[in-house]
Amino acid sequence: MAKKKFQLSFTPDLVNEPITYRMVKDYDLQINILRAEVNDVGGKMLIEMQGKPDMIKKAVEYLKASRVEVRELKAYVKKDEDRCTHCGMCISICPVDAMCMDPDTKMVSYLPEKCIACGTCIDACPPGAIAFKI
Amino acid sequence: MKRTYEEINRKIEAEDAVVMTAEEVLGLIESKGIEEATKEVDVVTTGTFGAMCSSGAFLNFGHSEPPIKMQHVSLNGVAAYGGLAAVDAYIGATELRNDEDMSYGGAHVIEELVAGKAIHLKANSYCSDCYPRKDIDTYISLKTINQAYLYNPRNIYQNYGLATNSSEKTLYTYMGKLLPHYGNVTYSSAGQLSPLLNDPQLRTIGIGTRIFLGGGVGYVAWEGTQYKTTTATKNGVPVGAARSLALIGDLRGMSPEFVRALNFQKYGLSLGLGIGVPIPILDEDMMRCVSIRDDQIFAPLLDYAVQSRNRKPIKEISYAELRSGCIELHGNQVKTSSLSSYYKARIVAGQLKKWIEKGDFTLTQPVAAMPKERAQKPLEVMSMEDVV
Ligand code: SF4
Ligand code: SF4
Repeated sequence: MAKKKFQLSFTPDLVNEPITYRMVKDYDLQINILRAEVNDVGGKMLIEMQGKPDMIKKAVEYLKASRVEVRELKAYVKKDEDRCTHCGMCISICPVDAMCMDPDTKMVSYLPEKCIACGTCIDACPPGAIAFKI
Repeated sequence: MKRTYEEINRKIEAEDAVVMTAEEVLGLIESKGIEEATKEVDVVTTGTFGAMCSSGAFLNFGHSEPPIKMQHVSLNGVAAYGGLAAVDAYIGATELRNDEDMSYGGAHVIEELVAGKAIHLKANSYCSDCYPRKDIDTYISLKTINQAYLYNPRNIYQNYGLATNSSEKTLYTYMGKLLPHYGNVTYSSAGQLSPLLNDPQLRTIGIGTRIFLGGGVGYVAWEGTQYKTTTATKNGVPVGAARSLALIGDLRGMSPEFVRALNFQKYGLSLGLGIGVPIPILDEDMMRCVSIRDDQIFAPLLDYAVQSRNRKPIKEISYAELRSGCIELHGNQVKTSSLSSYYKARIVAGQLKKWIEKGDFTLTQPVAAMPKERAQKPLEVMSMEDVV
């Protein structure tokens, strides 16, 4: 079993396609839609695919063939290191401890492997250093 | 042993002064004791980096041709106060560009000025024989204007209450985002590195004290608004908000690294400022003051779901416990978050230490001391007769 993060972008005509259904049914994947933004110019999604590695590969090929732009992500959010003051406000906000402070350097770092893209930290960051990769 | 300001400054000028940060000196005190540490160290530097809401800058734009009074002034769309002499204005950090969209305001203008960016100035005015012009629309920057200095009425609080939220909904406060059902606890002090906790009676800090302000040099101007000396103490330092200071300093020489616009979502704006104060080790008593550690400094935990000025503290918690990342509350472990950056507070104290070591920054003896006693009055709704 593998787990991968993706950003999908699609044009308005694809909004009604049963894409996630096909991925579950044809490729036996568990799809977790973490964020979705759909408007009149199309849509963007942050998703997590879980399943057999070759099935994930095939699902990505299927998506691309369906004219969905697919980008694999290492992280759902980006922390702007120039803007971050390492205050630590995001730490108690994050439900899965994906923001943590080094006890020696007192620097705050983001652990992308833990992040579930809930977004709670984004409006909690006073200097506005955190943003979704959507 | 005793040391005078003059002796310390002679050593600084000879680049001979021994300087340690308020964090570094703790190790020395532990290994050698107060007496020995007093002999060795001349100056201890403190630092903090946090939200200093009561901040703003005085600006003088220079005169246009023909001249204008500038009654109503805006900078990048943010209103600045122009009820001063012609072409002077005060831009407050918390002023919003737009009440609906709270994401941009005075703090951003100040940060951008410090960063050397162009700022859109618009002003209009009534006309007079002295100032015939009605309006002006132009760009300014730190390079083009005359004076530009911070004057902050209330900065570097000595200590501050902690925040939590007993209610069922998330609260958006100046103490950050508070999750429901006591979901988290936030705090805002550099604790053992914090300037006013290292000289709790303000024996060496008074009007005229030269400080590190926003990456440049500033001075203590006055007692801060809401300065009070009546807060209960523990281990010699106040438990909760007590003294504060009014600070002044040239925006030129400051750096965006230490002057940062902060946006507390759905609450409003603030200015993140790095501030450092040097503490001269005049005698063993001063060394005893700077020996304060996070496990000896306590703050009261307040429930921000109670929307009243009379919140009863739930309990008192030490900064050592807060910094562990988790505190105990009603039998549960609750995660903590700091609003002030200890990482940056360390950089501030370290930078000030370097300036002093290199002989670039000498110490000043206060011109006048801060009030020894001051209580804070609430505001009551009263009649004209009641108040005289
Ligand atoms: S809340 Fe923002 S500024 Fe503070 S540590 Fe987290 S990312 Fe950095
Ligand atoms: S998006 Fe959610 S899970 Fe990810 S770091 Fe922010 S608070 Fe944590």
